[in-house]
Amino acid sequence: MRASSAKWPGIAGGLGLRIVGKILYVTALFGLSASVANAVPSYARQTGSDCVSCHVGGYGPQLTPYGMNFKLGGYTDTDGKDMKIPLSAMLVANWMRTSKDVAEADKLEYFGTNNNAAVQEVSLFLAGRMTDNIGTFIQSTYSGVEKKWALDQVDIRFARSLKLGDKDATLGLSLNNNPTLTDPFNTLAQWRFPYVSSDFNAGFGPTPLMENLGGSVAGANAYMLFDKNFYAELGLYDTLSTTGLNMINAGDAGKFKGVGTYWRLAYVKDMKRDNFNIGLVGFNAKVQPDRSDLGTANDYRDLGIDAAYQFLGNREHIFTVNASYMKEWQTLNYTYSNLAEADNLKNSLNQFRLAGSYHYNQTWGATAGIFDSRGSTDSLLYGSSLNGRPNTSGYILQGDWTPWGKEDSWGAPFANVRLGVQYTGYNRFMGGSSYLDGDGNERRATDNNTVMLFLWTSI
Amino acid sequence: MKKYSLWAAVFIAAVTLSQQSMAAGDPKKGKDVFAEECGDCHSAAPGKNKKGPSLFGAIGRKAGAVPDFSGYSEAMKQSDITWSADKVDSYIAQPRKVVPGGKMKYDGLDDLAARTDVIAYLSSLK
Repeated sequence: MRASSAKWPGIAGGLGLRIVGKILYVTALFGLSASVANAVPSYARQTGSDCVSCHVGGYGPQLTPYGMNFKLGGYTDTDGKDMKIPLSAMLVANWMRTSKDVAEADKLEYFGTNNNAAVQEVSLFLAGRMTDNIGTFIQSTYSGVEKKWALDQVDIRFARSLKLGDKDATLGLSLNNNPTLTDPFNTLAQWRFPYVSSDFNAGFGPTPLMENLGGSVAGANAYMLFDKNFYAELGLYDTLSTTGLNMINAGDAGKFKGVGTYWRLAYVKDMKRDNFNIGLVGFNAKVQPDRSDLGTANDYRDLGIDAAYQFLGNREHIFTVNASYMKEWQTLNYTYSNLAEADNLKNSLNQFRLAGSYHYNQTWGATAGIFDSRGSTDSLLYGSSLNGRPNTSGYILQGDWTPWGKEDSWGAPFANVRLGVQYTGYNRFMGGSSYLDGDGNERRATDNNTVMLFLWTSI
Repeated sequence: MKKYSLWAAVFIAAVTLSQQSMAAGDPKKGKDVFAEECGDCHSAAPGKNKKGPSLFGAIGRKAGAVPDFSGYSEAMKQSDITWSADKVDSYIAQPRKVVPGGKMKYDGLDDLAARTDVIAYLSSLK
């Protein structure tokens, strides 16, 4: 789940400590926050529900309305029986082949330039109900690629239901370490498609700051679902100290000047047979990239719109569509003025994501997605781009098989597995059809096309 | 007088049709309705409780009587309801009106035909 700049051919090689001011910037642009999302069987054991009640396709993070309400209710719903142990474990292994071997400077430590296989993640979860109103989603992960443990995701919630006038409302508070982790929909960074991707993948283009802070910040978010339809959330975030980051093996995003502000508004309508939601999201923060040179900060303002639709029916044929568009305005006071590492004081970034899925019998799944990120022309900032732009676009196709997770499944609710194949194709990478790789050689965007086979299992 | 007789005939016909439609509910369609409306919180399998109790054998059962389900509200346990088809129909149409103070977070199913079908499905679970 942690962002890894080393995943970026042509980018990792340019990431030297000498250009301190770019560190956060490059992390923000090229972090791969949406690596492997989660499936937590301890929730199924706690509620007596099947995986398919909460998750489209019986596995992974795509939530049904029932799953959304479970999350907003603070992970506390139960079948009334005590003695449920809130522990789960997850393993993700994959093999990936890239169209053309990556440059020596871009390959990951411990691995080759192509045809890599890895146990990418082994995670332990403390996930479940602690009291009537308090529940947790805490994940610690060992990366078989980076060869280290880290505290991955933290979401500790207090929630309660009450009446406001004659309307139902759910009020909650979340202490967490990642903006968008708290979101109940599948359109924003942490929870959107692809729900599993390889650390060896070249990534999906520049992303706004909001999507690249996982693990390096701590936040307190208050939220409310009013009358089952109106969702609002406000969160305040601050960066962790260097000591704190070292303790949990998290990456350093620099130091906020003031606090980062996250907000979210959405309208959601559940008609049982189908449902939809539409919303707005924003994040503002001033970031001082170099902790030894505080005072001047880069300013980021993110604003997004998103929408989703699910047809669930009798669960035999399920269709979903998730879409989001995000714009980021950047004022690079530090990178431009102090370091002269950018051509422009002000830049912008636009990101579009779309994914549609079909699942048959909660077992066989097919998903297609497109990604498109575009940014201002800035040759200093985007040194590996031949035209000074970071534009990256392409498509992702996935087929998967989830044999268990239903009420009558073998081993339920302990045995859970998904096997799949995923193909990523690139139209543009770092500006156009070609860019400079880490060795300084021209490389075609399509050279990064990849096939991945994956095994994703949890107990 | 004639007018009143006509209205009475229409009323009787409507009630009769209503009873017939309930009696003629399609359990196969009802299984789909169950999956859409009920299945997240209730199982149709015997002894399988979720957030709500198993609905296997629910028709004819006393309210709050599934022995190993501990999530009933006091309101449900004290309701003294026996789940006849008519009572289930009233309940799933307006849960909070039939059992005020109950825990079930469900707004109700307006569609009479869908209610009839799901009751037919529940009746088949024996």
